[in-house]
Amino acid sequence: MVESAREDRRPLLVRIDGLAVAAWAVLVVLLGVYWVQQVLRGEEFQRQAENNRQRSVPITAPRGFILDRNGVVLAENEPSFSLLLDRNATKDVGASLSFVASLLGRPLPDLRHRFERGRSTYDFVPVLLDDNLSVAEVGAVEAHALEHPELVIQTTERRIYTQGPATAHLLGHLGEATPEQVAARAGRIRPGDAVGQNGAEAAYQDLLAGTSGLRTFVIDSFGREVAELDKVDPLPGNTLVLNIDLRLQKIADDYFRDKVGAAVAMDPRTGEILAFVSSPAFDPNIFTRRVSKDEWDAILQNEDHPLNNRVLQNVYSPGSVWKAFVAYAALQAGISPAERVTCHGAQTFYGRSFRCHGVHGSVDLPTALQVSCDVYFYTMGKRLGIDALADAARTFGFGRPTGFDVGPEKSGVVPDPEWSAAARKHPWYPGETISVAIGQGPVLVSALQVARAFAALANPDGALPTPHVFRMGEHVKTGDRYAYRPPPRAHVPYGPGVREAIVEGLWRVVNVPGGTAYGVRVPGLDICGKTGSVQVVAQADTKKAHLLPERLRDHGWFAGFAPRDDPKIVVVVFVEHGEHGATAAAPLGARLCEAWLRPAPPPAAPRPADVARGAAPAEAGRDGT
Amino acid sequence: MSRLSEVFPRRIDLKLLAVVLLLSAIGIAMVVSTTAGTPRGSLGGRQAIFVLVGLVGCGVALAVDYRLLLRYSPGLFAVSLLPLVYLPLFGPRIAGARSWLRLGGGFQIQPSELVRITTVLLVAWILENDDRPFLQRKTIVQVSLAVGIPAVLILLQPDLGVTLTYLPFLAAALFFGGLKARWWLVLLLAGAVAAGGSWFLLKDYQKDRIRTFLDPDLAARGAGYQVRQARIAIGSGGILGKGFQKGTQSRLGFLPVRHTDFVFAALAEEWGFVGVAAVITLYGLVLSRGFAIARDARDRGGAMLALLVVVDLVVQAAVNIAMNVGIVPTTGITLPFVSYGGSSMIASWTLIGLVLSVSYRRFVNV
Repeated sequence: MVESAREDRRPLLVRIDGLAVAAWAVLVVLLGVYWVQQVLRGEEFQRQAENNRQRSVPITAPRGFILDRNGVVLAENEPSFSLLLDRNATKDVGASLSFVASLLGRPLPDLRHRFERGRSTYDFVPVLLDDNLSVAEVGAVEAHALEHPELVIQTTERRIYTQGPATAHLLGHLGEATPEQVAARAGRIRPGDAVGQNGAEAAYQDLLAGTSGLRTFVIDSFGREVAELDKVDPLPGNTLVLNIDLRLQKIADDYFRDKVGAAVAMDPRTGEILAFVSSPAFDPNIFTRRVSKDEWDAILQNEDHPLNNRVLQNVYSPGSVWKAFVAYAALQAGISPAERVTCHGAQTFYGRSFRCHGVHGSVDLPTALQVSCDVYFYTMGKRLGIDALADAARTFGFGRPTGFDVGPEKSGVVPDPEWSAAARKHPWYPGETISVAIGQGPVLVSALQVARAFAALANPDGALPTPHVFRMGEHVKTGDRYAYRPPPRAHVPYGPGVREAIVEGLWRVVNVPGGTAYGVRVPGLDICGKTGSVQVVAQADTKKAHLLPERLRDHGWFAGFAPRDDPKIVVVVFVEHGEHGATAAAPLGARLCEAWLRPAPPPAAPRPADVARGAAPAEAGRDGT
Repeated sequence: MSRLSEVFPRRIDLKLLAVVLLLSAIGIAMVVSTTAGTPRGSLGGRQAIFVLVGLVGCGVALAVDYRLLLRYSPGLFAVSLLPLVYLPLFGPRIAGARSWLRLGGGFQIQPSELVRITTVLLVAWILENDDRPFLQRKTIVQVSLAVGIPAVLILLQPDLGVTLTYLPFLAAALFFGGLKARWWLVLLLAGAVAAGGSWFLLKDYQKDRIRTFLDPDLAARGAGYQVRQARIAIGSGGILGKGFQKGTQSRLGFLPVRHTDFVFAALAEEWGFVGVAAVITLYGLVLSRGFAIARDARDRGGAMLALLVVVDLVVQAAVNIAMNVGIVPTTGITLPFVSYGGSSMIASWTLIGLVLSVSYRRFVNV
């Protein structure tokens, strides 16, 4: 058997050699495959391996504070504490939840509900049980850290608006970035970031936001962090100093507590906005926590529309305030300020009778302004024609945005035949010119436009300033400053004696008996101004009038500046349904002028009104600065 | 004693022994690297024990005359099948399969691995008895049954990976026994039909493996995840590798079953193309030494024994290495001597013992 095996060996040996070659060939092919993967494609796979194991998480930079011109904090950041439950650190989740319920007095079903909602993630990711814990609650939880290591306190930063509703429309608030915002500032804003929405927070987003840091760490295949690789600290945002004077802001806010409308105060020489109030407002602090549905509904369903910015985005008929600019048009056209018009209480133009609110007799221009005589301005309007009125209005900046640095503005309407053909598709009626001459008709202006136009009356050189709240940006670490750079200003040209005649009239409004705002005069301040009342329901709309009987009262305006010889402040106050500008609006205007020109000594203690107004009690003390 | 110390080294194939010892040492190192510092702790010590037990099995196989083992192989085969019959019916279900017999002390054994030894012996014995240039029909049937019966029993457990390690026995036996062209044709057709038909017998996860093999990006996070992560591990190793215990893919858990089925990917990651080339070369040397021993064998049975063992081990290695890099579907075939696992290690070392025994007894007058 052995012998025969030997004789049969040859075919077997051939097969062995054949298979050996084949097997080595297979091994060489395998080696080739590994060569391709490891040597030729090695770098590509090394990148993939790095992507696998590395995660980078941005660290949000602390947002810059917002201060008023005196350094009072308007917006700051506050640590906010959240309570998390680490499921891996407890054997009995139910017992942990019961403990939290009894320790912090939270309803157990709520905690269970939150836990159930959060448990779908990996079990090493802690579940959020509650946020906005008080310092006392944090202390209580931390006192039990040894028995309950599963309860974790997480600290984040929360934006706090120290003045609450008083600065709501000025500062805006933070909110999650919209897809449009992310797209518009790719790289600087990521989805999920809290960014400024409206107001100064939005306008100076880049300045305030700073530069986020980046933390890079190694994770395992479950996403658990294993080690930190690199950490780039965030660069905090700049401090934003506004031109706002909180004293004036609060005076205006207090005044509007029970009123609807807007107030703006500005330095006419520079355009610095000193106060900026739109009422009603809302508490911007609700946006930094989670807004509850009830809170949001309350804002949306409020008939006074608290989200409307009445300084910038609501446009109104200017009423008699407009007469100052009609006076300008008349004087520039060469009409003498001494020329008299006789008022019999009404006058007929183009076959229709136009009424005056009084019987003023023979009035010159300053007197016409002082008593707000309609017949005088009807007459001027008819003589000048609509184009001259419209040109004068445009000279004072009406009909276009003022260039304000915060928030979108409405342009309003300066009507003329061209506008009529384009917007209304019907010709200009001569009778409308008569209405426009006293600020009625299709004229629409914003409070800010009125303020800017009055600044051009206040400034002897007729300069039209650009309103702005930005005073300065300052970096907290480097001390780098960003100053305000004023854009080039337009000037309202005045013929000889033109400005003086108008200012004389405006001065008499407040300082001479018979002036419409004589009641608010402040001896020694020489406030110049103009009141206005606006019919809410136009004659064409009388059919609707009965539907809103409580809303039929006129709007009241006051626009002015002080002191007469060297104006340092322009104020505009608008009170919806305030009936008369003289009684509803002018008092606040005078108070703002007085507060600015004669600053009272700083109050020693916080006023109780601040506490009542929703600002947290802890913050109220900061007002005194 | 003096004679033994003189004769032993000369007659033992030290090259083969050294190559296999080296592979085992690499295996221990990789098991340490992939399991040290993980929650269940290093398995390196256990793997070292498996190697020692394997060496004992190797020594036993070497000590007994393989001719004796061949002669009694039908009986050994029959006895060894008993646990394979028992398991699918009564065995404990571990990880979805009834593959394991529990021993004392936390150890368990996979009888399917040990049956490889008796199957090799029986097939070699069947071929010993048919020494014509081409196999007789009767022999073909016998060989098919000798391989097919344990394979089917293991498939019932079910353990596809181990079942597939039996197929090289059949292919090698038919190839070296000699088969005429028309038989190869029949076999090829039968294989194709079986492969097509088996699609309907596969479990869903097995079908997924084949689908993802055909398209690894199909479901990067789903069924294709293993293949993708293994490729990243291998590719990112580059030429020199990331270093011992420095493989991020395996240390951070991205690489699946990294101490067993995918240990080679872990090795490729940490030791680079250099390590890959070294290990592939070592398997090539196993093949070359095994074939040389078969050439020099005293008889046909010994030659067949050496060939069957070596072809089986090297085919397993090649399939595992190909599977790691994703050019064949994931099947659960482990890398002989390197992958973590006691039964496979002991069986493989015992098989090497049989080869060494053939070499040891190559001279007629022993």
